[in-house]
Amino acid sequence: MSPPEAFDVVYEINPWMHRTIAVDHDLAAAQWRTLVATLEEAGAEVVLQPAAEKLPDLVFTANAGVVSGNRFVPANFRHPERQGETAEDLAWFAAHGFEIVRLPPALYHEGAGDALPFGGVLLSGYRFRSDIASHAALAAALEVPVRSVELVDERLYHFDLTFCPLDDRRALVAPIGWDRYGARVVEALVAEPFVLDTEETFAFCANSVVVGSTIVMPSCSVRLGRQLEAWGFEVVVCPVGEFLKAGGGCRCLTLALDLSLARSAGEQRATAAVR
Amino acid sequence: MTRSRAQYPTASGTERPHEVVTLEGHIVDSLTLAKVLDRILAFGADYELRTIAVGRTNLDETIAELEVSAPDEATLAHLLEELQAYGVNRVGTGDAHVTVADRDGVFPLDFYSTTNLPTSISIDGRWHVVGNPEMDCGLVMREGPMVETVPMHRVRAGDRIVVGSDGIRVATPERPRHGLPFEFMDSEVSSEKPKGILVARVARQIANRKAAGDRVLLVCGPAVVHTGAGPDVAQLVRDGWVDVLFAGNGFATHDLESNVLGTSLGISVGSGAPSAGGHANHLRVINEIRRCGSIAAAVDAGYVTGGVMYECVTRGVPFVLGGSVRDDGPLSDVYTDVVAAADAMRAHVAGVGVCLMLASTLHAIATGNLLPSSVETYCVDINQAVATKLADRGSHQALGIVTDVGLFLRDLTADLGALER
Repeated sequence: MSPPEAFDVVYEINPWMHRTIAVDHDLAAAQWRTLVATLEEAGAEVVLQPAAEKLPDLVFTANAGVVSGNRFVPANFRHPERQGETAEDLAWFAAHGFEIVRLPPALYHEGAGDALPFGGVLLSGYRFRSDIASHAALAAALEVPVRSVELVDERLYHFDLTFCPLDDRRALVAPIGWDRYGARVVEALVAEPFVLDTEETFAFCANSVVVGSTIVMPSCSVRLGRQLEAWGFEVVVCPVGEFLKAGGGCRCLTLALDLSLARSAGEQRATAAVR
Repeated sequence: MTRSRAQYPTASGTERPHEVVTLEGHIVDSLTLAKVLDRILAFGADYELRTIAVGRTNLDETIAELEVSAPDEATLAHLLEELQAYGVNRVGTGDAHVTVADRDGVFPLDFYSTTNLPTSISIDGRWHVVGNPEMDCGLVMREGPMVETVPMHRVRAGDRIVVGSDGIRVATPERPRHGLPFEFMDSEVSSEKPKGILVARVARQIANRKAAGDRVLLVCGPAVVHTGAGPDVAQLVRDGWVDVLFAGNGFATHDLESNVLGTSLGISVGSGAPSAGGHANHLRVINEIRRCGSIAAAVDAGYVTGGVMYECVTRGVPFVLGGSVRDDGPLSDVYTDVVAAADAMRAHVAGVGVCLMLASTLHAIATGNLLPSSVETYCVDINQAVATKLADRGSHQALGIVTDVGLFLRDLTADLGALER
């Protein structure tokens, strides 16, 4: 994770961002600290990446790239506003001993924000931020099959706003963000999906972090909470309203470092360490 | 691009334009291949699956080669553009090709002719966005590397000009899907829309784009003055809504005439009555402005004390007056060299987010030619043909509002005034 010292809304690259809406910096810092404490309490080890001036979205570490084992595939950001983040991410991951494999520069892909593991494959969204052509390169770089899902609602511009893997069989899904082919791909893969309704989807319920049997969510409806508890999860709601102003929730603020995509499906849960 | 013009028989015996494309990745499991084939058929086009190498393991990629054919070139081009989003690539598309221009003012033979859509060029495998999209120009590669559009007359011998159509990506115009502010532009020109709502939306868009730091461009024809809307436009300039003005000798002359003598082509703007010897009024005003040397000098001298041109001068709003062969005078500020006029207009286009074209045909089309498709363009005219003409010349982003420009401006000024408060 990366502290929100430089976080702000100074440009508009998704429909949630409005430069006229001011960020409460103290509140943002407090919300972020609460999220860190909540994740740690759930059993995660949080490692920090320093903030960088003029990179207000560096705080959304989910987009840094995709991690698999000791390998890191950095993002190729679509918007020039975020392209400066890559140098910071490369430096951090090189310093922490990761093997870095880059995608061809012409192919946009925005990291774990558009790529989530499930059932032995990597589900990756495309259209608004990532290109579908990047998926083949990502599959080669990580040696894992990639299933492409087309995103159709600009407000749900990253895949991690529409999908949250819970365990081997279950996931939160927001099919209103996908085209019908993408919805069928996910349907074929997830045995027990929980289908989020419109309200839950736009409250970013899918943008949650699962640590063991704890799920840390930006918000949670009553019916969703009941189901998650019936499935044995402990639900913790951690408000991140200041970050929603930039179009990001809990999961966007984290990047799981303990994923190993090449292993069997059962071991692919995003668990302990979070950057 | 390897589009061959070989005979391609169809039921009717005529040849259909076609192109060979490839698609690779986990296209079977992701249903991408199914989606692409569905899209092709939905377009009324057809395909022939030439080869497909299905990956043997879960990790292997599948590679498909398709020959896509469509009833006509335009459909094929549109289809291929849309299919690019699914990773469908033309066979043989690599970097853009470049030829050095061998003389000033002339492109190489096979030069790429631009559109006003967002365009990217592949150089050394990397896509570079063209900074200043403008239609009917060429593309010149500069150091950096960077690519910019350049009109024909500005080419210099030695310039590296993009030729052919390889390595060029043109973005499809994005269509907003969910009630975004611009959605009402989906339906082209119409005289049967509730005007009040349209005007309020235009006002809201202008305010939004101004707040986002964009510039507002006004293109005015003489009818703005004839319909009595001069004071409204002057008000817009005075209130800071206008960042640059394009017009001709006629608009400026009638604006000045109406403010100096109270007439427009000799007819009293207030009472509608003809004035004695009024047919020469505009010539007398032009003559005096020419005596002063420029409109700004006439304002300084106290000869002009109000109106649109007066507000532009006093508020420092730049204007470009482009001339034509039937101009009287013309005013000293008018560009009589049309190429120089277009260049002067071009210099003011950067940063423009909204363009209002008011009762002007020639200057509206000239401006439309210069603007990228991303500029929200409103064409207000009593004649539906003007908006249609604009779209026919490639400015598809223009929304035509068919109404009396005087009424439109009165409402717009009131709406913007209310927003300000």
